[in-house]
Amino acid sequence: MTRPLPIHEIWVYLSGSPLLALILTLTAYQVGFFLYVRSNRHPLANPVAIAVLIVAVCLELLDMPYAKYFEGAQFVHFLLGTATVSLAVPIYRGLRELSGRMVPLLLALVTGGLVSIASAVGIARSLGADHAIVGAMVSKSVTAPIAMGVAERLGYSPTLTAVFAVITGILGAVLARFVLDGLGVTAWWQRGFAIGVAAHGIGTSRAFSVHPEAGTYASLAMGLHGVLGAVAIPLLAGYIPSFERMV
Amino acid sequence: MIPGLVQILLWQGAGELVSHFLLPAIPGPVLGLVLLLLFLILRGSVPETLAFVSDAFSQHLGLLFVPAATGVILFLPQLREHAWAVVSALLASVVLTVGATGLVLKGLSRKASRD
Repeated sequence: MTRPLPIHEIWVYLSGSPLLALILTLTAYQVGFFLYVRSNRHPLANPVAIAVLIVAVCLELLDMPYAKYFEGAQFVHFLLGTATVSLAVPIYRGLRELSGRMVPLLLALVTGGLVSIASAVGIARSLGADHAIVGAMVSKSVTAPIAMGVAERLGYSPTLTAVFAVITGILGAVLARFVLDGLGVTAWWQRGFAIGVAAHGIGTSRAFSVHPEAGTYASLAMGLHGVLGAVAIPLLAGYIPSFERMV
Repeated sequence: MIPGLVQILLWQGAGELVSHFLLPAIPGPVLGLVLLLLFLILRGSVPETLAFVSDAFSQHLGLLFVPAATGVILFLPQLREHAWAVVSALLASVVLTVGATGLVLKGLSRKASRD
């Protein structure tokens, strides 16, 4: 004969399996994505930011340690690597369409990448941020899946890197228009590429919603910045003196 | 869909091997990306199944970094302590990066059209 399980036994059973963390992650993202679409894809209603907020509040309410949540959610996390590999497809499509402007695009990419690292690391350091925060600033303009991989290899926190990357994307998507207007950069391809270099995926989806040409160039910029960042940041990290002083 | 996924996982595996034995500074998935990109350039087109999987991933890439980004709750005290530095660095950096990239493109293409 089976007696009805007391509620806490059901809870203990459920919270011990990866299922709960997976349901939580996917539901939170689903809610975030729904709100994002409902807001006409406004960058401030970023689905990742909303999902993180929902999951964080749920963990607090359920009194569930983050490590335990991650044990279950790691199955979603694992797919980041696979998704990174699949970025080759959009990069290839972009390269095929845009071979004529390669030289100015690459020069702009290298400039943008260096300005991004130097300004973020320089400002964070001079305002007294600690080692973990400064380290996570290094790859924050690179698309989050690649940035996290790079940060991990360099011994910086992938979590802070992902958070800074998402915030950078949101800020870039909101502010880029004003900066480019102010500087008189009017051509769609130039505007799109600048947003893609600075604000990766979130900026790219913003660029697509404004103009298709801007979107194509933003997506190319994001892809190229990802590859360049992954190769150049580990090399730079050994040579910039500020990196050594930080330790 | 499955053949596309298998191909991507195989490229990821190849990237992990190259990373482990030859280039430990670069993450395996990035090397997998580069290898797949070279393959696509040599092949001259994207296999349909591969395009399908890749589009599915890029549409909801954000979902995949929710678990890691939620770890921010462990850093809240540290972030609160350095809030001013974090906000200024992120804000100024994104404005400077957009501006610098845009200006280089504008400058170079003006020069190119004058020549």
